[in-house]
Parts: sequence; C-alpha cells; structure tokens
Amino acid sequence: MTPALSRIWFALVTVFVAATINFFLFRVMPGNAVSALRCRACTPQLREALLNRYGLDAPLPEQFVRYLDQLARGDLGISIASGRPVWQEITGPLLNTLPMLIAGTLIALVLGVISGVVSSWRRGTVLDSTTQWTSLAFYAMPTQWIGLLVLFYVAAAIGLPAAGIQSASLGVLGEPSMWDLLVDRTAHLILPALTLGLGSYGQYAIIMRSAMLDTLGEDYILTARAKGLRDWEILRYHAFGNALLPMVTMVALSAGSIVAGAIVVEDVFSYPGIGFAAVDAIGKRDYPVLQGIFLLLTVAVVVANLVADLVYVRIDPRIRSGRVAVG
Amino acid sequence: MDQRSVSAAGGHTRRRILAVLGVLTLLLAGCSKGAGGGGGGGDADNVLTIGTTYYISSLNPFVGIETQDSTAYSMLYPQLLQYGPGLKLEGDWAESWDESPDGRTITFKLRDGQWSDGTPLTAEDAVWTIETIRKHAKGATASMAKVLAGVGSAEAPDPRTLVIRYDQPMGPALANLQQMYVLPKHVWASHDTGEDGSGLTDFKPEQQLPVVSGGPFTITKYEDKGTTVFTPNPKFYGPKPHASAVALTFYTNPTAMIADLKAGRLGFVETVPFKDAAQLKSLQGFTIDSQPGNEVTNFGFNSSDAKKQNRELLDPKLREAFEYTLPREQIVSTVFGGEAKPWADILSGWSGDWVNPKVQPLPNDVDKANQILDSLGYPRGTDGVRQVPATTGEHAQPAHPMRYTVIVPNDTDYDGHLQFTLLQSAFEKVGVQLTEQAGGDGTQAYELITAPDGKYEDADMFTWYWHPYIDPDFNLGVVTTSELGNNSDTGWSNPAYDALYEKQRTTVDPAARRDLVWQAQAEIASARPYVQVVETNLVTANSTGWTGFEPKLFTLGKAYYTSPRRA
Repeated sequence: MTPALSRIWFALVTVFVAATINFFLFRVMPGNAVSALRCRACTPQLREALLNRYGLDAPLPEQFVRYLDQLARGDLGISIASGRPVWQEITGPLLNTLPMLIAGTLIALVLGVISGVVSSWRRGTVLDSTTQWTSLAFYAMPTQWIGLLVLFYVAAAIGLPAAGIQSASLGVLGEPSMWDLLVDRTAHLILPALTLGLGSYGQYAIIMRSAMLDTLGEDYILTARAKGLRDWEILRYHAFGNALLPMVTMVALSAGSIVAGAIVVEDVFSYPGIGFAAVDAIGKRDYPVLQGIFLLLTVAVVVANLVADLVYVRIDPRIRSGRVAVG
Repeated sequence: MDQRSVSAAGGHTRRRILAVLGVLTLLLAGCSKGAGGGGGGGDADNVLTIGTTYYISSLNPFVGIETQDSTAYSMLYPQLLQYGPGLKLEGDWAESWDESPDGRTITFKLRDGQWSDGTPLTAEDAVWTIETIRKHAKGATASMAKVLAGVGSAEAPDPRTLVIRYDQPMGPALANLQQMYVLPKHVWASHDTGEDGSGLTDFKPEQQLPVVSGGPFTITKYEDKGTTVFTPNPKFYGPKPHASAVALTFYTNPTAMIADLKAGRLGFVETVPFKDAAQLKSLQGFTIDSQPGNEVTNFGFNSSDAKKQNRELLDPKLREAFEYTLPREQIVSTVFGGEAKPWADILSGWSGDWVNPKVQPLPNDVDKANQILDSLGYPRGTDGVRQVPATTGEHAQPAHPMRYTVIVPNDTDYDGHLQFTLLQSAFEKVGVQLTEQAGGDGTQAYELITAPDGKYEDADMFTWYWHPYIDPDFNLGVVTTSELGNNSDTGWSNPAYDALYEKQRTTVDPAARRDLVWQAQAEIASARPYVQVVETNLVTANSTGWTGFEPKLFTLGKAYYTSPRRA
C-alpha cells in the first residue's frame, strides 16, 4: 500500500472509530430524549410510546446497527427535538460557524505571526519575553474565560454586540437591506472571533518564533545583510516567507483545537453555530443531531490532518520512501 | 526586488490598511445603533427588546415544559382567566363568571373575538380544547390534564357562553383554569390523530409562522435559543399592546446579557443575575426593580423508604438538626448578593394569604444542632466526623461515618457550587462531611436524585429551586405519593398528608381551604422532606426609555408584554 493510500485508510478507520465512540458516549449520559422532556405529568404508557417512536426502546447494539446502516446510506437521521432531518438542522449552524472560524483563525494567524516575528527579531530582549509570555498566557487560558474577559472589558466599552448573530430588533418591522444585515452580522462576529483568535494565537506565535530563528540563522540571510539590505527588507523578503511554511501545516493540525474552541466560544456568546447547536442537543438528549454534528466535526478534522499528511508526502521524498515518520 | 517594487508593495500595504480601517469604521457605525437600530423601516424605535436566560422550548402547549413557554402561550392563546396587578385572578377572555353554590359548575361569559386569521373565536374552541385534553389525558395531552382535574364535561350553549361541570367540588378550579390555553379548533383538530393523540404532540406551530393566535400577539419569528419576535395581533379582544413588537432574546450567558443592556441593545432584562444587581443600581440610564418572591431554593433529602444507605437521613429529627446548621444569612449575602431572605415555606410569598405565617426558618444555631445530633446517638469519631451505629432488622446497615453526597445541579440562576461550599463548611462544624456531586442539567439532576430509574434508592441530598405557583395546589401536590416518579424529587410519601392534600383540593370555601393548606404546609415543614433555604427577589432592569413594566406577571398575565410603553 502506498503512503498516500495508507493515510486515507487510516483516516477512514479514524472516522469509523469516532462515530462509534460518539454513538455510545452520548448514551452514557444520564437521561434520554424522553426524560429530557421533563414531562413529569406523563404517564408510563406515554413514556413507553415516546421511547418506541424515537427508537430508544431497542437494545443498544440494535440501535447501533441501525445507525451504521443509516450512515452507509448517507442518512444522518431525524432530529428527535424538531422532527426534521439532521442535515437540515445542522446546515444553518454550520454556515454560521464557518465565518467565525475563518475570522478567528485569521486573527490568530495575524497575532501569532506578528508576535513570533517581533519576538524572534528582538530575541533576548524585554520585548521578546513580553510577547512570549503574553502569547503563552492566552494559550493557557480556558477559551470561555477569555470570552468572559472580552465581555467584561470589551463588549460594553465599545458597544459591540455581546450575543447572538443578529440584532434583536433588526428586521422586526420589515426586511432589512443587505448592507444593514451584512454590517450587523459582521459586528456580531467580532467578539466571538476575537475570543477564538486570542485563545489560539499562542501556538502560532511559538511556531513562528522558532521558524524565524531557524531561518534567520541561514547563510542566505547573512548574504542579504552583506548586500546591505535593511532589516525590514531582510525580514519581509528573505526570512518571513520561508518561516511561514510550518504555519500552513500548523493551521491544518490545529483544526481540532480550533473547532473545540469554537464550541465553548459559541456557548459564551450565544452564537448560533454548530457548537451552540451541539450544546443545545446535549440538553435535549437529541442523539441524532449530536451524532451528526460530531461526525461532521470529526470528518472535518480528519480531512484537515489528511491533507496535511498528503502534502507532506508530496513535498518530502523521505516520507514517500517511508524513512521518516510524519509528525 | 528593486527599490521601486518595494515602494509599490508598501503602497499596496497602505491601501489595504486604509481599506481595513474603512470597514472597521462602518462596522462600529453599525454597532452604535443599539436597541433601536433595527432596519427595515416602521417604528423600529418602539420595538421592545427583552433579554432573558429562559428560552421558549416549543409553541405547542402539549409539549412545552420550560418556564418561558408559559409567556409565549399566554401571549398567543386566550385564557379564561389570568393574573393581574397584585397577583389577583381576573378575567382574560372571560368577561365574567358564576360559580354554582355546590361548587360543581362554573359558567363563563366570553368576550367577542377573532383568531388572527379572521376565524371567529367562540366557546366551541374552548369546548374542543377541554374535551381533547380530557380524551388524551393519559397520552398526548397529559402535561395539561392536571389543570382540568375533576372536570366532568364542558359545553357551549352559545358562542359566548362556556359551561364547565366538575364531578366534585374543586378548590383550585379557577386557578387551574388560568393555566389552560384555548387552542384554535380549526387549526388543531386535524392533528388529533395517531395513537392516543400523538399527532397533537407532533404538531409544531413554530414551523408554520405566523402562529394563528387569539392573544395580544402572534409570533412572526421563532428561534428557541435565539430571538423570538412577538407582533401585535390586531384582532385581539383585549387591551392592545403599546409596543410595535416585542423581541425576546435568549442568552446562555447572563454576563453577555448585562453587557448588551449596558450598551443600550436591550430595553428590558427579566432576570438580572443576583451578583450584578448592586452594580447596576449605581449606573445611570437604567431602572432596577427588585421585588421579593421570585423563587424558593431548597435543601432536599431523599426521603423515600426505598433508600438503601445512610438511612438515618430519613429521621425528621436529624433533618431538624441539619436545618439548624444551615447558614441561611450567609447564603443570602454571599450567594444572592442580599437579593433574598431566609425562608422555610414550600410556597413563596407571592401566594399571599395562602402562606402559613407560623412556618418560619430555624435560626443558624450550631450548638443546638450538635445537641440534637448528640441526643440521637451519633458521637464524633477521632477525625471529628460523627459515627452512625450499626442497625439491625429489615433495613439493617453497618456502622458508618456521617459522610453524605449532595447533588448540585448547574441549571440554577445562582452559584450552586458556592452555596455548596458554604454548606460544606457549616456542616463540618456539626461533624458531618458533605461531598458535592455535579448534578448537570435539569434532566441529569432529576435522574440522579431519583436514581436508579426513579426508585429513589441512591441519593442522599440535593440542592435545587423552583418557581412556585400562586395557588398552593401544585406545590402541595409535589410531595404527594401520586407524584412519585413524576414531580416528586424527594420520594417522600405520607398517606395522612395525601388525605389532607385531597381534602384541601375539594374544599371550595376559601377560609376552610386556607386552614387545610396551612396544615399541609406545617406538616411538610415539620417532616422536612425539603428544607427551604431562601426566597429570592425578582430582579429586573429596564432602560429609562421604557416604562409600565409588570415584572411580577412573568408567565402569569398578558399585561407582562402589553403594558410596557415608551417613557
């Protein structure tokens, strides 16, 4: 089997294992979709009828086989809470999450790259220590805590929306213009994206600093200096581009942690994305929606890692020949 | 790269920076619009924006179980009666009513009205609703069946007259009917299908907006965990709302809600976190309203005879000692920021005359608690923790230390963990060691408290809270034997109490019923399946740009949304 095929096979096995764990993990939680209704006036007969209707009265292995059968046909099932197909339930939240993830990642990249470059260029100075410690501190903080700090110190101070995806009064008495909608939605995106960016930029800063230090020690940098180029030109046109390469891989590999961060960020800001939908589905014990969301997230992370692996295989002949393990 | 291309690149960079700054300026301009900044024309400034931490789970009254659901139902559906200012029952759709001397028949004269789609609103709608609920009382409509307890029949002699007949006199009949929402027969009748009416619970009005409404508002946008928009229904039979619309926004995080209030994005916040109340009172531009009687918190015991371990907790005398141990004042100041008071009754102060004035909280008296525990034969061990001697007989248990687990749910609107920390510290002083068990959300907590499978065998204690009803019937009913596995979270069962409860229920004379209700409260306070801890304040905040709020009518009356108006 070629390295590329073996990695694709490994990715498929990972998705299957994750789907299996997801199925059983959610059912270990106390309660089920019927008890989550908290219909304490419900008679035992009604509870039995509801369990039967949701397919929850069958033995777990039987439910699992049914789930796999559905998956094989590309069917994620029907939401217990809304009665709609899971795909419909998660498409909207997913589309809400994507811009936030992209904006958050961009903020993290920009902050990480600037911190890393500044830190490496001023290595050993107070500025280096300060930027390193700051980025490490943010990286170590729980993302939801950063979110609360942002709410306390940023939201009210500059009037940015603290929750949701759209102003409550927008469009109440008529259709808003596209421009109003765009501006409003972008404004609602800022704080969640900023929180996500602050929570994850530390890892990029560290990688960037390390890559820059390696690059700045190369002979061609010495040559550039000998040519009389200014510091800024050496950084911008000789060191920066080469040091940026590991960042590309890093972004792909950190997809999992970014998605995990998005889940808590969305909960803090009541942002109706995929993470918010997951937390809601947990409260309702809506297993099909939970399984659908986590399968989707698993596939996204596995694909991101697979792409990184395949790119490595493509660009590094040592991996292609099997002499070096992919990190 | 030559010098010219470097300069050109620098020029591109500057232009990019300018473009980014321009976009940011536009965004910040958009942000400054605040609560009244809605686009789309109309009187957007007259849209009341409300922030809440309670969400609307469903617009189907046979399905919804969340507190906020009642707000939606009372705005959408006619009720025969509702609560008005002062928490007094008054007519809603019913213009007037007569009760027969034997308490078995109530005749309602109804207001003339229409549903929002123009269909006449008649007594036939009420009869259909009542008969449908009764027909599927053990199935799809079980959640609403209790409000019609004792009803034998309903009929409509004419479109504006409704007669409800009871099989037996029913003390809380009118209060129960306040919780019945009349549904449009022409919309709902076609869903009365399936086994035991399952089509009724499958129906989701929220997926067919705007909802056909008979109340002051219809709903034109619904997001359970987002924003739901209530738009005035011009065909409503009662007082018209002052606001052009009400936009109710759910917040998972009260900190975000307060930030939006401060930024002027909300006109009203119906659940100000206790810890934020003092700080908000010092700010300009807001009115903070704090009224006693919002919710009652409790320290509950698994009081079921099925309890397997630590059965000494079934002894009411031991629970009395534990009540002396409760640091209520400390909890009031630390957990609730002073927005609560010590409380012992199973009813809240909102129940008015129904509250037995003799049921008062015991003081925090560690010496007295130690004295009782000593007298019960629980000596302290070498580690300071009291020891329970071995017992014999049917429920024999070995000697063991007084170490108990307290289930602490996280779906409370106060810091349950902080409260537990105070309890833990207080109980150490009487030689009892408490351990916290995270209770999770409401579903998980109930499963843990009644574990395993509703048999009440495992749990020791728990902390929780509830929003009591005005009429005492529901609260007193929670601890009856018939509620085991349903509303009962203590597992307590006492046939004598059950009889007392039934008697108050079938007593129509208010004074006679009040005596029985007081007896029932005293019985619960003495047996202590729960020890009530505090009664919290209802703390709300509104922008000074709005006035006319009736915070106490939350879920109880239509004026909650119809009375607020621009100042």
